[in-house]
Amino acid sequence: MAAVAPVVPVRKRRRRRPIDSDTVTVGRSGAGTLFANLAAIGFIVVMAFPVYWVLNTAFKPSNEILRFEPTFVPMSPTFDNFKSAFNAPFFQQDLLNSVIITLGAVAGAIVVGFLAALAIARFQFYGRKAIILIVLGVQMVPLVALLIPLYLMMQGLGRTKELPGVIIVYIVLILPYTVWTLRGFISGIPRELDEAALIDGCTRAQVFWRIILPLTGPGLVATSVYGFIQAWNEFIIINTFNDQAQQNLMAWLLQNQTQRGTFWGPLMAGSILTAIPVVIFFLIIQRNIATGLTAGAVKG
Amino acid sequence: MSVASPSAPTRPTPPGPPAPGAHVRRKRRSSRSGGFVPYGLALPALFLLFALLGYPMVRMIVLSFQNMRLRELFNGLTPPWVGLDNYTRTLTDSVFWTVALRTTIFTVVSVALTVVIGLGVAMLMRRVAPSLRIAMIVVMMFVWAMPQLVATQIFRWLVDADFGVINYLLTLLGLDYESHSWFAEPLEGWSVITALVVWAGIPFIAITLNAGLTQVPKELLEAATVDGASPWQAFRNITLPILKQLIVIVTTLSVIWNFGLFTQPWVMRDGRPSSDYQTLATYAYSTAFKTNNYSLGSAISVITVILLAAVMVFYIRQMFKIGDVD
Repeated sequence: MAAVAPVVPVRKRRRRRPIDSDTVTVGRSGAGTLFANLAAIGFIVVMAFPVYWVLNTAFKPSNEILRFEPTFVPMSPTFDNFKSAFNAPFFQQDLLNSVIITLGAVAGAIVVGFLAALAIARFQFYGRKAIILIVLGVQMVPLVALLIPLYLMMQGLGRTKELPGVIIVYIVLILPYTVWTLRGFISGIPRELDEAALIDGCTRAQVFWRIILPLTGPGLVATSVYGFIQAWNEFIIINTFNDQAQQNLMAWLLQNQTQRGTFWGPLMAGSILTAIPVVIFFLIIQRNIATGLTAGAVKG
Repeated sequence: MSVASPSAPTRPTPPGPPAPGAHVRRKRRSSRSGGFVPYGLALPALFLLFALLGYPMVRMIVLSFQNMRLRELFNGLTPPWVGLDNYTRTLTDSVFWTVALRTTIFTVVSVALTVVIGLGVAMLMRRVAPSLRIAMIVVMMFVWAMPQLVATQIFRWLVDADFGVINYLLTLLGLDYESHSWFAEPLEGWSVITALVVWAGIPFIAITLNAGLTQVPKELLEAATVDGASPWQAFRNITLPILKQLIVIVTTLSVIWNFGLFTQPWVMRDGRPSSDYQTLATYAYSTAFKTNNYSLGSAISVITVILLAAVMVFYIRQMFKIGDVD
């Protein structure tokens, strides 16, 4: 039978120490530290430069942009580029589409993904390992490779050139990560809590509503935000499936480049407007993304 | 709410009741009384995954043995079967081999650069002043958060032939880069694309490895230094072995991501990359959607997935080995 004495998982204690106490100080010279600090400053400048440059460009009037010798701060700062991007054809329509598609996809993926995560995290059943394998495996198939059959399938079902088709595809796009991350959050809740509640007379459904769901709350938020980022950033699928009126903001950014030639100011302003929601959300949940991707590898 | 704090995915549950018998009984109960419940819970997710990932995967393989063109797309008839024609056509096509070789070289170079620089940055973060370390983390977070498409647009603008700031800066250094087109010469164009991919890839690796470095016991490094080990020896014999597993994982992930490179060359070349700027992913896409040769595109995709399969299997095995997948 499947239920022969399960192996008790080895439990490792996780310790968190202040960063500074870890720094090795023995045998380090002042010159070495100076050199390290200078290298860090160099690294910061190089990494930050592109980000700084897009902000710098977006606030310049076009006569300041279109010259070989650039100004390193906008001499006469202006919001014209942002206005022009915002009022560009399809921008507002595609912004609305982005919001609808992303919310729809995240809501769908969270509901479906949470149930599957619950099954994997809380039950031992035949085929459990296979499900984990599927969830981990499909994450790695290059999306572009599946684009051809997906397009033919959606085209056959008459689901191209509309939002619901894309929403369903996006649900599946973010589902594996959602299941995988939520599984981690649910396994983090001690089983003893479930059992205590069961002994006290709760039904399984009550355990779910009163214990697991509230305790997974922060995990649900973090996972939704990451799903939001993935869905918001996608443009290859939607650009292949839909026309401009049913596209999202990322696809708008792509179209804007290829159709109207390159107007750098509005393009950079449009890039900023498109990236802002993602950057903000990313900064909120950044800790989870690394841990989700490398799973148990970091036991700091 | 400490149980489900943001770092919960990697945090094992605190030790349960000490008696081993309790564990056995507990597990058995949850496995028995579950019945069909777990299947019911997993069903919607499995249905979606099979319908929108499993079925297309099968369809992709079937398509690669057919000859699907625009006509079949619109009249909905079964395309004619052509056996292995698409594969023989692809595998005897010198363009395909050039593209495959280019994708491989790009992957090796970009992953090596990202991992080596990322490791260097992670080590650097532990040596610098705390304020600089925070600045490094903040900058890397912004870079990491940047959507691929937006990052590509920014780099396109940085290297613009007429008004790009890179040409200006190089001219300041006394080089003649006025109106220099970075994409006329494929090697230069690929340097730009590699720079973009490495720039965008460093934060994930540096921040992950920096977290891993907290596992390296300070006492061990100090003892080694006192015993006369050079910094290189300490790195080689203490830090590297402890980080090994983590490095393997981030490298594998980077290989999978970079081998599927699509957005950067696609957007840099305005959605019409010339044959010098094709990767396997853009090549399959162009074949399918620009020339409406869906079957040939599918065959190229199938070959791409097969080329990557070894790396994917390796990654999944690593995940199981680490033990997070129990």
